[in-house]
Amino acid sequence: MDDQSEKQRPIALFELLDESGIGLTDSSAEALDERERRLVVGAANFHALATPGSVLRFTVLRGPRGTFPSLTDRAVHRIEWPHDREAVGSLLIRSIVQPTTASAPPTGVVGLVVEVGGRSEFKDTYRALPGWHGRVRRTARFLAPVQFDAFRQFRTDLVEKMGHGRSLPRMAPVRVNRTTKSTMTGGPPAVIFGLHWLELGGAERWALETIRIAAEVGVTPIVITDRESSNPWITKPELAKAIVVPLTHPMDPVTEAAFLNGLLETFDIRGIHLHHNAWLYGRLPWLKAILPDIPVVDSLHIREWRTSGFVDISVRMTGLIDTHHVISPELRDHMIGRRGLPAKKVKLATLANLTTDTSMTAKRERGVDGPFTVVFVGRFTQQKRPYLFLRLAARLQKHAPGRFRFVMHGEGELAEEIHVLRERFRLETLQVRGPEIAVSHTLTEADVVVIPSDNEGLTLTSFEATAAGVPVVSTDIGSQASLIADGLLCPRHPYRFLDAAAAKIITMTTTPVQYKNWLEEQVIKATEFAKLPLARPWVRELYQGWLR
Amino acid sequence: MAPLSTIAAIVVTYNRHAKLCNTLDHVLTQTRPPDWIIVVDNASTDGTDQVLARYCSDQRVIVHRLRRNTGGAGGFYAGMSRGYEIGADFVWLMDDDCYPHPDALEALEAGLTKAEEAMAMPLSYACSLVKFVDGEICEMNNPGTTWDWGRLMALGQESVLVTHCSFVSVLFPRRVLTRFGLPLKEYFIWFDDQEYSLRVTKESPGVQCIRSVVVHDMGVNRGVNFADVTPENMVKFRYGVRNEASYRLHHQGMGAFIKFGIRLVTQLRSGHVPWPLRVQLLRRLIDGVTFNPKPEYPRSVL
Repeated sequence: MDDQSEKQRPIALFELLDESGIGLTDSSAEALDERERRLVVGAANFHALATPGSVLRFTVLRGPRGTFPSLTDRAVHRIEWPHDREAVGSLLIRSIVQPTTASAPPTGVVGLVVEVGGRSEFKDTYRALPGWHGRVRRTARFLAPVQFDAFRQFRTDLVEKMGHGRSLPRMAPVRVNRTTKSTMTGGPPAVIFGLHWLELGGAERWALETIRIAAEVGVTPIVITDRESSNPWITKPELAKAIVVPLTHPMDPVTEAAFLNGLLETFDIRGIHLHHNAWLYGRLPWLKAILPDIPVVDSLHIREWRTSGFVDISVRMTGLIDTHHVISPELRDHMIGRRGLPAKKVKLATLANLTTDTSMTAKRERGVDGPFTVVFVGRFTQQKRPYLFLRLAARLQKHAPGRFRFVMHGEGELAEEIHVLRERFRLETLQVRGPEIAVSHTLTEADVVVIPSDNEGLTLTSFEATAAGVPVVSTDIGSQASLIADGLLCPRHPYRFLDAAAAKIITMTTTPVQYKNWLEEQVIKATEFAKLPLARPWVRELYQGWLR
Repeated sequence: MAPLSTIAAIVVTYNRHAKLCNTLDHVLTQTRPPDWIIVVDNASTDGTDQVLARYCSDQRVIVHRLRRNTGGAGGFYAGMSRGYEIGADFVWLMDDDCYPHPDALEALEAGLTKAEEAMAMPLSYACSLVKFVDGEICEMNNPGTTWDWGRLMALGQESVLVTHCSFVSVLFPRRVLTRFGLPLKEYFIWFDDQEYSLRVTKESPGVQCIRSVVVHDMGVNRGVNFADVTPENMVKFRYGVRNEASYRLHHQGMGAFIKFGIRLVTQLRSGHVPWPLRVQLLRRLIDGVTFNPKPEYPRSVL
């Protein structure tokens, strides 16, 4: 499936005049891989929209490891570059976006220099912290991850306590009730999707699903990301019929407006669906001022500790958002009960069957003889706290050497740290797996899944584990209580988490009846949860309504 | 047409199975039936569990038996948590000696909706008019009114704006539990309802719907008066003094605390309460200085 989609040419808003090394016409001569090629096409689409009818020459650079794409920011207008960038391709195009009377195309060829960055990798936010402050944090975190985490949780408690009940300023709604004629268009119907990035994540999985559904119901998805990233998922088949524009910042405000104007003039925009995109939140007032009737839906997954993240942004912008889609009861209650949004504006539609069918829980018996397999599935990031899993594994191994087997399945910025800690804790029985092995395969081996995250909405891993018939030990955060047995919910603070999780897993190994009861409770909860409205049919109906 | 919102009735009981049956019969036959009836059994020892077993054939009845007696405060804490977790949009609270008229819940729901429309703001709760078995007003369950209590009456509604009420037939919207949390279970008994209703009216008042009527079968129709303290009822007053002292000091300030102390002493003196009991209650007044529990929040499950 993936391979097939990778051969499919991405949608282009330009006419190709000439190319070298990109691989859009002659795949034998290509210097770029599929991800890099799609990034270049994304940049070309952006500039084709921003300068309708113009001829553009792109010089494509590749950077060293640790650099990220530069596609739409101010730097693309400079025709010199640092010594460590290598020119790997060139592209000459003509924008097929029709200029309006208001926008005259520039004469001659416009030269642009874009970078596809280094190899595809995750941005290590801790490594990127600048100055002495960053050095101190990095060192403390590496030498004493659990103690560092304990401090972070203390800080979280403090900020949450102080911020409880704090009201948020709200963006004034747009009072314009009629669009001006210059934006009326007979173009193909389209929906703008605002994504954080195209990387592994629950929110991104749901975003891609909505993009797939939009294409299926007959609208062109216009996918805009705003976060610095290698965007490894840009080659996903769900994006095959989409126009993908990975924005890089800082952008020139004039170019931003030109880009959006290009979209409005080329497509018949029927709606906007946000999936954690700060840039698009900021442009909502402008878009609403031009298209006052355009429906705006915002999908929310998680309330970040300390900042509340996109949830608070969504509340601030509620005057410009028609529906706040939330994926968990906890978020619904937060938006209505804490933030005072009208209940009719908040739509709960769950992702219960997004990656797996929880109504078909696998019937499996836990092996009594072999080692008890304890599994971590998720991104290797600070939020998921993989180092706590390692510490838990060390504790269990010390409690009963040889009784346990450990698997960590995932990838992410803390991958290196995981290997170092594995050596430090002498966890020879711990296996680290990457995306080359299917999660479903790991779950068939698991006796218990551990989710030590310090923050979550409602993890897709919990659904997948339930479908595989595996009990989950999780921190009691977000809406995890919606799925996890009460007895398997653990405190968020690291030391208390380690004590509780270890005790529960040891009980599982010594008391099979308790293991069975916990799993049964989890299945009952999943069954009840599955009765809540599902996101997939809701969003399909929504887009069909936008088409009418 | 089925109602759009869901309501969980919460009945807290402790060793009063005869009255409990009467209460449940009244709750189950409401013109607007609740979607769930959560009976919190505070570890009764009088055979309440056997009585409740008879009601369990009704799918709406959920029996939540606690391991130990946690008092009214603990019972309502547990019941409201459960109601919230099963996804109820409203919780309707009452004791096990409260007999609601057939349309009591319907009148509460309608009264709250009408009042919110008239006030153009969400209100914190709706409570019933509580009568004694002889038809008189129940002295203990009179809500406190706001300065503009007649605002809704001026608009033709049979409702009064209130600042606090008892847990004898009161309907709380889910958002109030999300925003303000649960009653303080540490209070055990007495003043838990006042503290909670005062806490949740910080942003908007509650409303007493006069057309929603319940009967409180409480034996003697007396309000709380420290002149009535006897060795037999001392247990309740001990909790009452500590809880109210704590609330006045920590939530209203030193002035309110001193005022409460003066009221306590004056009433004890006027009732000629024996000195050993007075001393005990004054000690509880002092306990209130260090007793300051914090609210817990319910968990979103469904």
